[in-house]
Amino acid sequence: MTHTNPAYHLKNIRHYYGSQKVLDIDDLNIKTGSITGLIGSNGSGKSTLLKMLAFALKPAKGQIFYKGREESGFSPTVRLKVTLLTQNPYLLKRSVFENIIYGLKIRKDTNHLEARVKTVLSTVGLDYGSFAHRRWHQLSGGEAQRVALAARLILKPEVLLLDEPIASVDTKSAGLIRKASLKARDDWGTTLVIASHDLQWLYSITENQISIFNGKIFPGGIETIITGPFEKTGDKAFVKKHANGQPLILKAPGPNEENAVIRKKDILIEPSGHDLTKGINRLSGHVAAMHLEKETHHIVATVLVHDLSFVLKLTPDQAGSFGLYPGKNITLGFYPGDVEWF
Amino acid sequence: MDFIVEGFFKALELLINGDGSTWSAVLATLKVSVWSLLISTVTGLPCGFMIGYFDFKGKKQLRTVLDTLLALPTVFIGLVVYAFISRQGPLGEFGLLFTLSGIVIGLTILAFPVVTAITASTVEGIDPDLKLTLISLGAGKRHILTTCLWEVRYGILTAIVNAYGRVSTEVGIAMMIGGNIKYHTRTITTAIALETNKGMFADGIALGLVLITIAFIVNLSLSFLRKQ
Amino acid sequence: MNKKWIMNWVIVFFMTMGLAAFAQAETKSLMMATTTSTEDTGLLDYLMPLFEKDTGIALKWTATGTGKALKLGETCDVDVLLVHAPSAEKKFIENGFGKDRKEIMYNDFVIIGPESDPAGIKGKSLADALTAIKGKQAQFMSRGDDSGTHKTEQILWKASGLQVPDKETWYVQTGQGMLATITVAQEKNGYTMTDRGTYIKYNSQNKGNASLKILVEGDKNLLNQYSVLTLNAAKCPKAKYDLAVQFSDWMASPKGQKLIGDFLLMGERLFFPNAD
Repeated sequence: MTHTNPAYHLKNIRHYYGSQKVLDIDDLNIKTGSITGLIGSNGSGKSTLLKMLAFALKPAKGQIFYKGREESGFSPTVRLKVTLLTQNPYLLKRSVFENIIYGLKIRKDTNHLEARVKTVLSTVGLDYGSFAHRRWHQLSGGEAQRVALAARLILKPEVLLLDEPIASVDTKSAGLIRKASLKARDDWGTTLVIASHDLQWLYSITENQISIFNGKIFPGGIETIITGPFEKTGDKAFVKKHANGQPLILKAPGPNEENAVIRKKDILIEPSGHDLTKGINRLSGHVAAMHLEKETHHIVATVLVHDLSFVLKLTPDQAGSFGLYPGKNITLGFYPGDVEWF
Repeated sequence: MDFIVEGFFKALELLINGDGSTWSAVLATLKVSVWSLLISTVTGLPCGFMIGYFDFKGKKQLRTVLDTLLALPTVFIGLVVYAFISRQGPLGEFGLLFTLSGIVIGLTILAFPVVTAITASTVEGIDPDLKLTLISLGAGKRHILTTCLWEVRYGILTAIVNAYGRVSTEVGIAMMIGGNIKYHTRTITTAIALETNKGMFADGIALGLVLITIAFIVNLSLSFLRKQ
Repeated sequence: MNKKWIMNWVIVFFMTMGLAAFAQAETKSLMMATTTSTEDTGLLDYLMPLFEKDTGIALKWTATGTGKALKLGETCDVDVLLVHAPSAEKKFIENGFGKDRKEIMYNDFVIIGPESDPAGIKGKSLADALTAIKGKQAQFMSRGDDSGTHKTEQILWKASGLQVPDKETWYVQTGQGMLATITVAQEKNGYTMTDRGTYIKYNSQNKGNASLKILVEGDKNLLNQYSVLTLNAAKCPKAKYDLAVQFSDWMASPKGQKLIGDFLLMGERLFFPNAD
């Protein structure tokens, strides 16, 4: 097990539910010991991807390499190292204590159970004395989520996958889940992959982000996606008509390509020293949200142009010079040629 | 009205005084219901679990057949079993007609689809997140199977209670196969039918009370178990 | 823990039930098919322990009609019969199903009906009474179950020069035992024919004040003969022929005959022993 190998390497993954393609990943690496955020709307393929990373779901096509070795589901080598906390974690109809040690019993690792349960419960902010012997139905949503997390943490997993871990919990639980997850990485070098709708929370915990749209992966994090319908104007250009009259000119797509993405680096702000001149799409909107990237201290800003949201990334200096704040009206630009279709 | 009130007092009198025919009917009912329940659970539970747990060709059709069997009229079961275990029938040499064992066969046929169908439905209704959760905790196929079985234990209890309700209140099979033999195959239900026929309502009510009491105790201990 | 305690309790309960079911010691037992009248009157309850004490044989019986009882004999599902339809019994033996037929006792049939007696049959001869019932289309309950009583009733209609009713609206076939049929007659305020023993039992249940009264009795056609039949061992090798003979002999013995004669209900004798 060398650290030169990424925790995961996915190659040419395709997966379908019936005839509908739900996952289409050409290449994806997740570094060992990294904390990766997974951003995407409902039905984008997030949960499917997480199940695949947990080896609970076999892709229809493609290969998954775990630390350099190709693996598939149910192989004990990975089954016991990777664990997934599902969106609605299922607690077994047993006591909290029994729920937490379930995984250990499978691993026949049953020394000092009480002490270990005590430790892991305190990590997720629950008191052993008052919680260990509660029944599964005597817990609030946040408590149940934390118990489920404790049942994973006690396994000291190499990889911890969290699917919307704070979607239905209170603020206090959200904080405790964040803290406990970070501790796992710091203590044992656990690789974390976290999917969440709460971008603020996600940016505060993850080091890099992957966004996923209709099963397609964008490793640079959240990007601007423009969906149809489009109008064709000549061979080389497509137009997206906008309710407030600002048309977007896009280069024509290739065959079977339906959606357009504009990368963060290709979106410019006026005035910026760039020449927002002829041939550029010029759009005015207002800043809707700003997130700080934990690792790089860059700022990811979401700008609403009518009902389309554009995502762009700024250095701290740039952000300062533009004097950006949520609600500020700004003008954006991008070149039709910079659009990528998929 | 009098005979109804009289029935309640007669019930207490019969039970406290240890009336031989009353207690033998109670015991016969317990024996046949417990045995048929035991056999149908031991056989029906694995069948129901497999039908619910695994996907296979013809599963839908099998469920339809099972649901039809649920509605099997007890007199029809009685007729078929009678035909088989009568001395003339293929199983005649075992001499099962007019015995408690004969009733147990009939009641088992009655209870088996109940246990199987309800178990299958319960297992089919297992939260899909359960399996995912178990895999993610490192469980292998064997662990997943046994844990699923333990998770649906309350559903299985429901299946058994339902089956118990059917077999303990059944009268057609007990009458046809058991022959309502006093001190031997007379069960609470056939005794009630007989007493009503004879116009002896008090005795019938007495036995009815016993039946209700047994059902009450069974349900009480189950709800107690469920609370644990 | 409590839960464990309950589980243990449940297991012990099952074990006990299981042992109880198997612990039914294989004593000598004799399975008899008989008519509802011998059970309903309590005669068999009275004789069973005495017979067991004398012979060590446990007597079990299923009470149906004579027709069904003979059928159970044909299919060898019982060991011995106690029935009351002489002509059908003789045919049963002629057909090779039965071996011996021993006449044991008799009682008689009576016609009972409501005190108001809408057809006015009280004190009439049997033939006149049946004719009156038919003429008035008064409700008449028939066993309708091919029992000894039912067979006799059919014979009596014919003997009275009448066609046996079947689909007439006033002729109700209950398909049930004698006491049940009397109960139906009481509810419908109708007439029925019953053996005297069952009537006395019915009357005793109503503390001697039953709403149906005996209206016709004493006709020589109303005699009701009970016999014990053993099965032909050649046809039914599994039937316990030896025990059946013991039962038959015991019933016909001076002791058995005396016991039958001593069986009283409300001070009345229900069955009259008449073995040779």
